[in-house]
Amino acid sequence: MDPMTFSIIRHRLFRIVDEAVITLKHVSGSAITNEGHDLMVSLYRADGTLLMGGVGFLHHLTSAAEACKAIIRRFQGQIGEGDVYLLNDPYTAALHTSDIYLVAPIHHEGRLVAWSACFVHVTDIGAMNPGGFAPQAVDIYSEGFSSPGLKLLDRGEMRQDVLDTILNMVRSPEMVSLDLRSMIACCNVARDRMGALLTKYTAPVVDEACAALVEQSEQLFRARLRALPDGQWQSRQYLDVQGETARVLLTMTKTDDRLVFDFTGSDPQSRHSINCTKWAALGGLFAPLFPLLCYDITWNEGVIRPVEMIAPEGSIVNCTRPAPVSVATVGAIQSVNNAACTTIGKMLAASEAFRDQATAVWHANHFAIFKFGANQRGGYSIGILTETFAGAGGARSFADGVDIGGEIPNPISRMANVETVEGAFPIRYLFRRRAADSGGPGQFRGGTGGEMAIVQHRAPAGGIDYVISGKGARHPMSEGLAGGYPGAPNKYVWVHADADGAPGAPDRLETIPGKAEPVSWGVYPLRGRDALYVRWNGGGGYGDPIARDPNAVASDVTSGVVSSSAAKEIYGVALSSSGAVDDAATSVLRAAIRSARLAAPEAVQ
Amino acid sequence: MTRYILPTVTTDGIVCTCSACGFDLGPATAPWKAGAVARDLPLAVAGGPAYDTGFAGVFVRQFICPGCATLLDTETASAGDAALDDRLPLS
Repeated sequence: MDPMTFSIIRHRLFRIVDEAVITLKHVSGSAITNEGHDLMVSLYRADGTLLMGGVGFLHHLTSAAEACKAIIRRFQGQIGEGDVYLLNDPYTAALHTSDIYLVAPIHHEGRLVAWSACFVHVTDIGAMNPGGFAPQAVDIYSEGFSSPGLKLLDRGEMRQDVLDTILNMVRSPEMVSLDLRSMIACCNVARDRMGALLTKYTAPVVDEACAALVEQSEQLFRARLRALPDGQWQSRQYLDVQGETARVLLTMTKTDDRLVFDFTGSDPQSRHSINCTKWAALGGLFAPLFPLLCYDITWNEGVIRPVEMIAPEGSIVNCTRPAPVSVATVGAIQSVNNAACTTIGKMLAASEAFRDQATAVWHANHFAIFKFGANQRGGYSIGILTETFAGAGGARSFADGVDIGGEIPNPISRMANVETVEGAFPIRYLFRRRAADSGGPGQFRGGTGGEMAIVQHRAPAGGIDYVISGKGARHPMSEGLAGGYPGAPNKYVWVHADADGAPGAPDRLETIPGKAEPVSWGVYPLRGRDALYVRWNGGGGYGDPIARDPNAVASDVTSGVVSSSAAKEIYGVALSSSGAVDDAATSVLRAAIRSARLAAPEAVQ
Repeated sequence: MTRYILPTVTTDGIVCTCSACGFDLGPATAPWKAGAVARDLPLAVAGGPAYDTGFAGVFVRQFICPGCATLLDTETASAGDAALDDRLPLS
């Protein structure tokens, strides 16, 4: 094919996805979508295979492909121009019920030529807990509305009976309606722009370019794999919920131009809703693979072909119906993300040519906290604390991780500003900032996570409530690399205010008056002068902490992201009263740390 | 030919060595971690107050070069869990 035409079509496809994402964000009224960017848009070929993966949460790219194929199977012979289909059943293709896929065929001159797919986390899905994450769910039946595929628009016309049925089953139906309409607008833009492309270049030429694009991705990815060392690398993740701990164990084997991700040895599925289905696990391992190994390759079916996944049935990464999965995206899926990020990072770091592309694990532990209740305008609000999308960068082989630097599985994730949240909910922030000592120590430090505290503020009902799905308060999850430490674990605290205490102006957890109680799983109130404190994890570190430039440690202490005690005890850096490095004392400290490592090793437990 | 298992550990296909000092970590047919000093540090000891979860039984497991005391690798581990096994093919 003419390379110029190929390049133009490739670029146009990318821009179509980009414009559809912009549409989705601008039409949606939900902070989780237009602030947190918990969204995804992609294009698929006529058979449902991935053609052009977009940005947003990347673990949806392969799952939405399966959603397209499921719709094709279910509605074969009935798929009309202008149709839009809805699918959100996790055991068919979706990740969890609240991440609704809208899948739309794209026709040209009467023939089906492509699909677009998108998702947002809808405001509510009718699960037993508001917001979609249902930590109290015992099975899929308690996780809200779930469809393996239905027609929402028939040849461009809304099926009002279907829409009304959905909205009749959810809280905040006006917001859910807006969520769905933002996705319909997104599908319309994708269809219209694809139509223009097809009209200009003709369907056969565009199809030829699409086939070539998939072939190009496969060839480029296989070539990259051949340039990397063969080997086997392992990683492990722990998910702690209500005193129970589940393990995700991954063995990644790279041979020539193939990668095998084997989850044999992972724990059986949990009674808690942290499980994920097979399609979700597949999406989970591709979320870090796309940006880490294919940052310059089009994300499509060609990248998928050299990869095999082994996920034992009945395990936490391939659960069987009716196991609950509503917390999957911040549960087993995120652990699959983290585990794959670790093994891919190890493989990259094992190559001198690719080492500067290796990274420790980034923000590894979402905390899904959904606030809900009567708002200050006489209405009812449900919404996530978008700080969970703020993230933290993992350290690289040449640089620190970026403080509050986002996450690998979603390159555009971010948090809302404080005023946006305070405008939507009757709450007030006491503080929000980088969390000291949260970044994993290393020669290159992991990026810091953050900490924040909120209280209710003039709430008409005296306060609000929140659903928290906060695993990971016992185990660090953002693993380090090459001797770097993991980032500090998450922390969730309910501070019960003293009955007669003054409110004051607390600026850290220790100065919030009252009695602290750890919380992590379930539904809790935020009322009176009680506070909710959250600290989220930092990124993993890279390399031995005592190899870190002492001046970098001194700078970290000055800026408040590393404590003076950590500087001394972990980094072996002695600082003067003015904060300057004491070189001689630092040498003594580091020599002592080396001696201690060898002289009195702690036994392996 | 020197190959890396991790940036900190090399192998020539016969033995594994510390990348920093060349210390012999044992035959390439065995997991290299068997030749390193291994220790499990409780979270709060390893990382300080920010890592103190109040729960026992979770560790930062360290693998240290016996020759130069360089920290070769770390992994989060619960008591009793086996060390992760990273290796290259012998050929």
